[in-house]
Amino acid sequence: MSAPGITEPTEVIARAKAGDGEAWGQLYHDYAPAIFRFCRRALPTREDAEDATMEVFMKLKGKLNQYDTTRSFSAWLYKVAANHCWDMLRRRKIRQDKETGDLENLPLEHPDPSQLEKLIEERSSEEVRRALDKLGARARMALVMRYYSDMSYDEIADALGVRRAFVGVVLLRARHELRQALEGNAALAAGGAS
Amino acid sequence: MSEVPKDNGKHLDEMTLLLYVERQLDRARGMEVSAHTQECETCRTLLRALERESRLLTRAMLEEDEPLPSRLAQFQERARKSMQWIWGLVFGLAATGAYALYTSYIQPWQLQLEQAGFGGSNLLGLLIFQGAMWKGWQSVITLLEVLAMLTLVGLGAVFFRRRIRRGSALALVFAGFCTVLAIGPAASATEFRKGQSPTVNKDETIKGDIYMSGERVKIEGQVEGDVFAAGKDIEIDGHVTGDVICAGRYLQVRGTVDGNVRSAGNTAVISGSVGKNVMWFGDVVTVESTGKIGGSVTMFGDTLAIDGHLGRDILFFGGGINLNGGIEGGIREKGHTLIIGAGAQVGGPIHFEGEKPAEVSSSAKLASPVEFKQMERKKEYRDSSYYIWQVIWAAAYILFGLVLFALMPNFSEEVVKSTEQYGAAAGLGILVGCGLPIAALIACITVVGLFIGISAFFLWYAALHFGQIVVGALIGQWLMGRAGETWPLIGRMAVGFVVLRLCTMIPHVGWVFKYGAALWGIGAISLVVYRRLQPVIAPGMPSGPFAPPMPPSATMGGAVPA
Repeated sequence: MSAPGITEPTEVIARAKAGDGEAWGQLYHDYAPAIFRFCRRALPTREDAEDATMEVFMKLKGKLNQYDTTRSFSAWLYKVAANHCWDMLRRRKIRQDKETGDLENLPLEHPDPSQLEKLIEERSSEEVRRALDKLGARARMALVMRYYSDMSYDEIADALGVRRAFVGVVLLRARHELRQALEGNAALAAGGAS
Repeated sequence: MSEVPKDNGKHLDEMTLLLYVERQLDRARGMEVSAHTQECETCRTLLRALERESRLLTRAMLEEDEPLPSRLAQFQERARKSMQWIWGLVFGLAATGAYALYTSYIQPWQLQLEQAGFGGSNLLGLLIFQGAMWKGWQSVITLLEVLAMLTLVGLGAVFFRRRIRRGSALALVFAGFCTVLAIGPAASATEFRKGQSPTVNKDETIKGDIYMSGERVKIEGQVEGDVFAAGKDIEIDGHVTGDVICAGRYLQVRGTVDGNVRSAGNTAVISGSVGKNVMWFGDVVTVESTGKIGGSVTMFGDTLAIDGHLGRDILFFGGGINLNGGIEGGIREKGHTLIIGAGAQVGGPIHFEGEKPAEVSSSAKLASPVEFKQMERKKEYRDSSYYIWQVIWAAAYILFGLVLFALMPNFSEEVVKSTEQYGAAAGLGILVGCGLPIAALIACITVVGLFIGISAFFLWYAALHFGQIVVGALIGQWLMGRAGETWPLIGRMAVGFVVLRLCTMIPHVGWVFKYGAALWGIGAISLVVYRRLQPVIAPGMPSGPFAPPMPPSATMGGAVPA
């Protein structure tokens, strides 16, 4: 997993680890857009995403020595970003629980395959992004970790603090929430048009 | 959305299909799902829909729908600009520190060494110790000029660093420059001899330098160059036209050495003649009545006994001097005793800092009376200036720490973490703290190693102080909790160092805290340096797109069957 369009700049990472400010700047230049987008998808507002991006890179300065060079830098960086974003969201946990607590206990309805296909075919990327904004914190975070940064189930379980076996359930519930949001958006759009 | 059909043999549930799409099922279950979806149109459609949903999600998230906010784009630039201020401050402080170091330590030493007539035979030694670099400039260069010059050098270093891009390249160039300066002229011819008793025989002449090692090294013939010798007993009965540089238990010079004698060992007895200077790190030096030294004696050791003749001065640090011979120059001693016997003649001034006044025979012929200074052993705890100086020193240490932490944040944080490895840090601290100066001393006795030796001394001295700062930072963390960032760590260092400094002021046991902290800190520094010198696995592995790790039991899934 790399930030889109970026190959692993291993030499730059090694220099940044050794305290080279220029190398550090290069890393920021290369990875800040991808991390900002990650934060933007995971957090409710643009301002939150900007703050989180800066904080992730500031945190990274202290943590870079813990990075194991045999592993993917992007994967590690996304993990740091995911942990940071989830920490931010957890600080607002009480409110989130009120919003999503009831939904967590509802049984999942089995989708009609053809209706689901139709729904997906008709929706644009922009509509999906708008629908994502309406999801609860955990659902959104899980989807971003899985489908933006391609994190494994183990990593997602670790970041969200749930058992690995529960990650699939979290992702499935998140998809259901997303479908409801997409249907709601469509209904709103139709209402607006009439 | 329809009713929920369980996996009752007719249709698969959505969770199972999602796990199949995500390659999270074990192989057996995956085969079942694959087989079922080939038969069941409904499940196949749902599987395809889930896959498309995954792709839609990924596409929607990866699309660059908004540019990087200007606040983030400027973040790096702002950080860089603020770093310039830090660099400016750092170079200013470094310049002040360098000037203070020069005026407090180097200049007095330089003067003392010059008075003792000590000089190196390499270019660096010539520049530093014989004052060629400083003479004529000292009256011109003011503090402001030094500051400005060093700040310019600092900015120049930053400027070139951006082009060279690697700090290590600059360090290499600098180290190379110093090495070139330090290396003496190449020997025209060099001979090596070793064995139980390597000897230059009476009728033998060695043209060029000679390296000798063995239990008993003997020079009975002539060496037209320098002698480098290591052995238990080293005896020079012949003639050496160059320098004698040696390490051994016992050195006896009965013959003639035209150059200098530089040595580390237990005892040296000179009954012959040495044309230039003698420098000795060791226990005892005796210049017998027949002995003659054309230059000066510089000694760090226990006893210097002179019955013979000395052409210039004595510079002595250690136990005591017992003088019965003639000295054309003066004496500067910092030690316990100075005994000037009846047969002594001293042509220059005598400065003695010791525990009790010199014992001077009434028959001794002195150009001027002994200037005695009582060695101060006890601190004046009741004196208010003592506390003022303690505050000034604490502030200076904290400033030193601030500069180091700001200059090398990662290194400093690592060192502070390493102090928590109590056993390793303390053990290594004792080893390096005691071993490094000994190694530096040994390096100093060779011409080529002089620069390395002096550099090692400076590093050791700096580490002695930095070690206390590091331990201060650890104490600060104990008191105020851990700090993840540099500036909070600096704050904790300041608080912790004040506490440590207060502990060092406790009468009788304060020194235990001081030297304990210094050695502990040196150990932590050594640990980090050691780790950094370890080879790192080459970070050159090309990385492809990330694939989530598979569970150990193997997973199964994949494309939707047609």
